[in-house]
Amino acid sequence: MDRKEILAGLIEVLRTVRTVDPAKLENVTEETDFMTDMNTPSTELINIAAKVEQKFDVEFEDEDIDELGSKVKDIIDLIIKVKARTEAERGE
Amino acid sequence: MITDISQIKDSLVGDDPGNWLLQGPTKRYINNYHWHQPKVGIVASYTPTAQNVEDHFDIFRGVDQIESFAQATVVSCGTFSQCKKMNVVPETLAEMFVPTFIHIGSVYFHSYLEKGQTFINIGFIKFFKWKQMVCDGRIYKVPQGLNLDEYFKDFTEERLLAYDLSSDFLLIAELFDITGRGIKKDMFENLQQLQQQRHNG
Repeated sequence: MDRKEILAGLIEVLRTVRTVDPAKLENVTEETDFMTDMNTPSTELINIAAKVEQKFDVEFEDEDIDELGSKVKDIIDLIIKVKARTEAERGE
Repeated sequence: MITDISQIKDSLVGDDPGNWLLQGPTKRYINNYHWHQPKVGIVASYTPTAQNVEDHFDIFRGVDQIESFAQATVVSCGTFSQCKKMNVVPETLAEMFVPTFIHIGSVYFHSYLEKGQTFINIGFIKFFKWKQMVCDGRIYKVPQGLNLDEYFKDFTEERLLAYDLSSDFLLIAELFDITGRGIKKDMFENLQQLQQQRHNG
């Protein structure tokens, strides 16, 4: 799964989040900041992370979320990192 | 004060709230923990003091009821579970994370509480992940003279979820989506800076 596909999947997730303005999803890039560009409440980032886990079949640890930045690229980086970690653990 | 992980029991029942609510005593709105199942919820009581109702018609403010509920649930339960998970004492956890009160869903007040009237916070955990806890629950005024430890000795998860109390408990408030989160200290500072930048345009 490449970054472009992850971004598309992430936008699908964001469409299901009540506090995200659908109009702001039209021009989302990796540099978009959830807090400054999309005015997403910080509480909502946890809900987004929970939905991302389901969508991408990954499991985030406490430390992953502790260090998570507020840009779209931060979530994409995290998904890639956790997918690689999971595959390594499964010996794939 | 808890100085060693071995002092942490299997639940908060009977423990000193001061071990878990690290703010000073004048802002601590829990006296006792009566029932607690770490993955389920809690029953904790408080009796407002003269200082708590000062300049407010001898009435315990609604906002302080919410604070008490949050202290019983997302702070006490959240801190307990995170300490267990990380194998650390509350003071150590507090050095690493800032406990933040981040969201209140809905609150409906049905009655009020006066100085000296003991109430219970009865709360259950809806979500707990990545140090964020969300709880729903109720506040009830306790019948005068009732021994709460004895009353809740054999309480169960089923009874908690059904608010199965005797009819002489008076419903004071219903609370939904009370949310708290432990945020890593440096991330918290970054968030503050970000908010300041947004404010400054």
